[in-house]
Amino acid sequence: MTTAPFTSSSSRYTIRLVLSWLSLATAASAGEQPGGPSPTVHAYPALGIGAERKVEVAWNRFYDHAGLSDILARLHAAFPDLTKLYSIGKSTEGRNLWCIEVTARRVGKPDRKPGMYVDGNIHGNEVQAGEVVAYAAWYLCHQYGRLDRVTALVDDYVFYLVPMVNPDGRDFWLATSTGAMSGRTGSVPIDNDRDGVADEDDCDDLDGDGTVTMMRIKDPQGRYKEHPDYPQYLMVRARPDEPGEYTLLGWEGIDNDGDGRVNEDGRGGYDLNRNWAWDWQPAYVQYGAMDYPFSQPETRAVARFVLAHPNIAAAQCYHNAGGMILRGPGREGGEMKGSDNRLLQMIADRGEKILPYYRSMICWQDLYTTWGDEDSWLYGMRGALAYTCEMWTSRNLYKTDHHPSDEQEAEFIRDVLLGDGVVAWHEYEHPTYGRIEIGGTRKEWGRLPPSFLLEEELHRNMAFALYHASMMPLLRIADIAVEPLADRLFRIWVTIENRGPMPTRTGQDIDHHISPPDLVSIRGADLKVLSSGLVTDRFFKRVRAAESRPQRLELDTIDGMDATRVQFIVEGGGPFTVTVDSAKGGLLHKDSALP
Amino acid sequence: MKLAPCRTWRWPVLFVVFLIAAVPANAVDYYSHATMAEHLAWLAENEPNLVHVRELAMSREKRKVWVVEVGAGAEADRNTRPALLVVAGIEGNDLVGPVTTLSWIEGLVKKYHESSATVDLLNATTIYAVPCLNPDATEQFFAEPRIERCVNGAPNDEDHDGLLDEDGYEDLNGDGLITMMRVEDKEGQYIADPNEPRLLLQADPLKGEIPVWRLLPEGIDNDGDKRWNEDGPGGVNFNRNFPFGYGYFAPDAGIHQVSEDETRALADLVVARPNIGIVLTYGAADNLRKTPKSGPPAGRSKPMEAVSEKDIAYYEALGKVYCTKLGLSKELEGVSKPGTFSDWMYFDRGLLSLAVRPWDAAFAVESSKPRKADEGNNPHDVNSPDARKKPAKDKDKRGQDEREQLKWFDEHAPDAFVAWQVIEHADFPGRRVEVGGWRPFARTNPPPAILDEVAEKHGEFLTDLVGRLPRLQVAKIECRLLADSIYEIEILVTNTGFLPTVLAHGEMSQEVLPTRLTLELDPQCFLAGERITRLPAISGSGGTAKARYTVRATGIDLIRFEVTSALAGRMQGTIELLKEGEK
Repeated sequence: MTTAPFTSSSSRYTIRLVLSWLSLATAASAGEQPGGPSPTVHAYPALGIGAERKVEVAWNRFYDHAGLSDILARLHAAFPDLTKLYSIGKSTEGRNLWCIEVTARRVGKPDRKPGMYVDGNIHGNEVQAGEVVAYAAWYLCHQYGRLDRVTALVDDYVFYLVPMVNPDGRDFWLATSTGAMSGRTGSVPIDNDRDGVADEDDCDDLDGDGTVTMMRIKDPQGRYKEHPDYPQYLMVRARPDEPGEYTLLGWEGIDNDGDGRVNEDGRGGYDLNRNWAWDWQPAYVQYGAMDYPFSQPETRAVARFVLAHPNIAAAQCYHNAGGMILRGPGREGGEMKGSDNRLLQMIADRGEKILPYYRSMICWQDLYTTWGDEDSWLYGMRGALAYTCEMWTSRNLYKTDHHPSDEQEAEFIRDVLLGDGVVAWHEYEHPTYGRIEIGGTRKEWGRLPPSFLLEEELHRNMAFALYHASMMPLLRIADIAVEPLADRLFRIWVTIENRGPMPTRTGQDIDHHISPPDLVSIRGADLKVLSSGLVTDRFFKRVRAAESRPQRLELDTIDGMDATRVQFIVEGGGPFTVTVDSAKGGLLHKDSALP
Repeated sequence: MKLAPCRTWRWPVLFVVFLIAAVPANAVDYYSHATMAEHLAWLAENEPNLVHVRELAMSREKRKVWVVEVGAGAEADRNTRPALLVVAGIEGNDLVGPVTTLSWIEGLVKKYHESSATVDLLNATTIYAVPCLNPDATEQFFAEPRIERCVNGAPNDEDHDGLLDEDGYEDLNGDGLITMMRVEDKEGQYIADPNEPRLLLQADPLKGEIPVWRLLPEGIDNDGDKRWNEDGPGGVNFNRNFPFGYGYFAPDAGIHQVSEDETRALADLVVARPNIGIVLTYGAADNLRKTPKSGPPAGRSKPMEAVSEKDIAYYEALGKVYCTKLGLSKELEGVSKPGTFSDWMYFDRGLLSLAVRPWDAAFAVESSKPRKADEGNNPHDVNSPDARKKPAKDKDKRGQDEREQLKWFDEHAPDAFVAWQVIEHADFPGRRVEVGGWRPFARTNPPPAILDEVAEKHGEFLTDLVGRLPRLQVAKIECRLLADSIYEIEILVTNTGFLPTVLAHGEMSQEVLPTRLTLELDPQCFLAGERITRLPAISGSGGTAKARYTVRATGIDLIRFEVTSALAGRMQGTIELLKEGEK
């Protein structure tokens, strides 16, 4: 309603004016209400992502397998020319491992573009890893055609995005009352306490508050006290010369199987990220490795997929937590070629800037030894440049280089989260321990960002992944130079440029013949190849000739930010086609003709 | 891990009648896949209470891979008894292993109806056998032409040129065999052995030897890359496809560990059968003819490299038994290969795992030598006279082993070496090319004439092995009334087998569950001791372990208990609670 003067003398307006005065008079106490069309009509973008979204998703929360799958389905339905959606296998409990393949389907040959493989959530409790992969798919689809850098990425490369490698663990962690570390494992029952029965004594939500926290008991010989400033849930160790008040009893639970131990054999009990076929070691050396590499349906499904896509040149595996960009080797003495390590380090250094408070690290050296983990297999056995990214660090709470203290974290919970995330100590009658107290932080605290920092984590980690992708080889047959030598005899020089920093075959790839050699071939209706070779010096025209099969020249690699030249001596005339066939660099053709 | 569901196997009635009539007697020749199927069908139909045949996997070329279970009684019982696993045909050139395995089982089953000792054996232990894991490879023995191939048919780019399986073998001299060819070539590396011109030696420039021959497999250069037959059909050698010591990127190791359906099925089988206490694998690896080297036990976080010092004595002892039964007086070479099934079963799963080739040319030569009786020659004894003899220096020993083997074959199976035959070869115009060499499969499988004898001796060893499994017995139950209804109970358990209830590495690797003694009594009744007691490892040949309890058992006459050992079987017992005044 407005009281601005009307300039029109139409009777309609006069009536309206009268009516509005009437309503003013009669509705003195009602008040005005906002309302109108959908908020997106009135929405304007902040930088980062457009305001108009074909697929509306709230990225400040977590979704279970069904929820995230639905997002993928809506994405694919909204962007059929940019996506393919399929299952690469099923989990132990039969959930689909979805892969959303993002590339411009009408540009180039989708199956022959350099590929980047990104997955997440192989540990079921590391849930934000699922969101970051789905966010990447969502972002690429929405920004295609809007931002040149995104358009180029989606035109030149193909992204294989698998958000949830362990959906069983994910759903268990999200939907069941559980502690922060449970749900990491897969679903297969494992006899952790070696008593002949599996999974018979897990944690229990004794007080039915929907989460599993900690138990403590008042004990004059206990070595713990309540923190004086945060007595509700924070404990501190008593000094060596002072008495304490409590003994900590561990996670909430009872002795379900009557064997005198509490919570000693919970759900599952293995680690899908130690089940990979590079530097695999049995369980007594590497906890959780299971009986042999790729024994589990989840790891086997991913391995089969990667093996079936020899164009995968780069990879990223998402986890939580710690704020780390990890590269191999997983164990001391593990394989890592110098040239590959230099490239990985360079990319990770940039990653530290895209992801403040994250650190670039070498797994065995800066973290701990892992045997049989995923990124080690992706590099070691497939020659792909791969990282494991541990999302979220408490350094981000106060934007510091160091971790905040327990007290500082408690302050954050109190002042920024207004207490969300803790369960205050409260009494409970335990069948074995008697009167105890239950309390502590909820499962969402510690390894997951709070809602308002979650979207930042997703975007920045995705940006690092896209930066990594932009390093992949980008080939072009730049030039075909024909020089007549005699009648119907020619020397042809083909220049192949690689405008990406990554070579078509990494050092690991070349050393172990992982992918086939890059092939340069030439064909024509009236063309016979007499000799071919690699130009080793283009100024002095030095050529290393191939010993046999000159029509298909084998190259070790086409280096990054470099041009490779090859020479063909041919006999004939007329048109011809040059083909470059590189597993990870792509399939290119260029036509030309002999004079 | 769950096994694939069992598939009971029924042949049409008429065929069954035919098979019952055609009882396979002694094995006289090697088994094709179809012949093995017949033998297994006969066993399944005629001994349904003793022999259980199941499909373990399907090969790439759609041949069934079987697992045979031998033992009396219900499946649940069989799967808790101490068990032996035999695996044969895991390497494609092992044809004798499948024959050995099946004829042993056929013999056992026959003896079950004749001998009480065998009845006891098959009632108390279980035998699992995979008589041929890689039928796609072994079937090449019956192929035209015959090719000695250790690998299955999985396509593989062995020469790393981007093409798959593009250059295989050809039978150039039309003899139905793929042997070798030697080509006169200045770039070659070989000379004819001056002591035996059929054989070749590597030319030694220090001895002034100028190479004459280039040695290649029989065939043409199909893909024109100046290499011959370097990328033929296949494949994966299943006995290189397991995790321990796996040869990354080796051409026959598979794209990753346990990559093939057949190897995966075998791995899942042993995971699902934790009662397997001894494994014997026939193939190139060998830890019976010579005791393998040992080393310190594994650390918790350190991969192992040699058999634990604490377990090596069992390998040595069984090696002695093997050599005695097979008539070997001299220690032959042990063989170690990367990624074998046998190594995985010990180093990663902590079980006693034996490996040997049932027969090879070296064995033939050695067993044909006259035995030196009464010298106490123990091939495993470092101080035995043979071991102390030093080899004469300065004598050219090159090729001696091969010459001895050829001599043996000349006497016993002269067709084992195909005489060199000149041919015209399009790839080598104007040059002398000869086709010939060792007959495929001849050096790893005995001539059919002695196959029975080899199988029989190995059968004796296998029977001995089964008898060495650990076996638990309850030795003594003592029950003393202290007062009121309070009793002091002591149960003594003994291992009457040869092997301990768990090897040192079985304990270290935690792959073998500890032996448990469980009393069927309410936990409240225990004043001392617990309802479930874990017993330590119990050594064989009468080793013991005991558990003691003090219980208050009001109104109860007896307490049932069960002893469960992963490898030594399961048994039940009863403690009778005597009342006051009773004896």
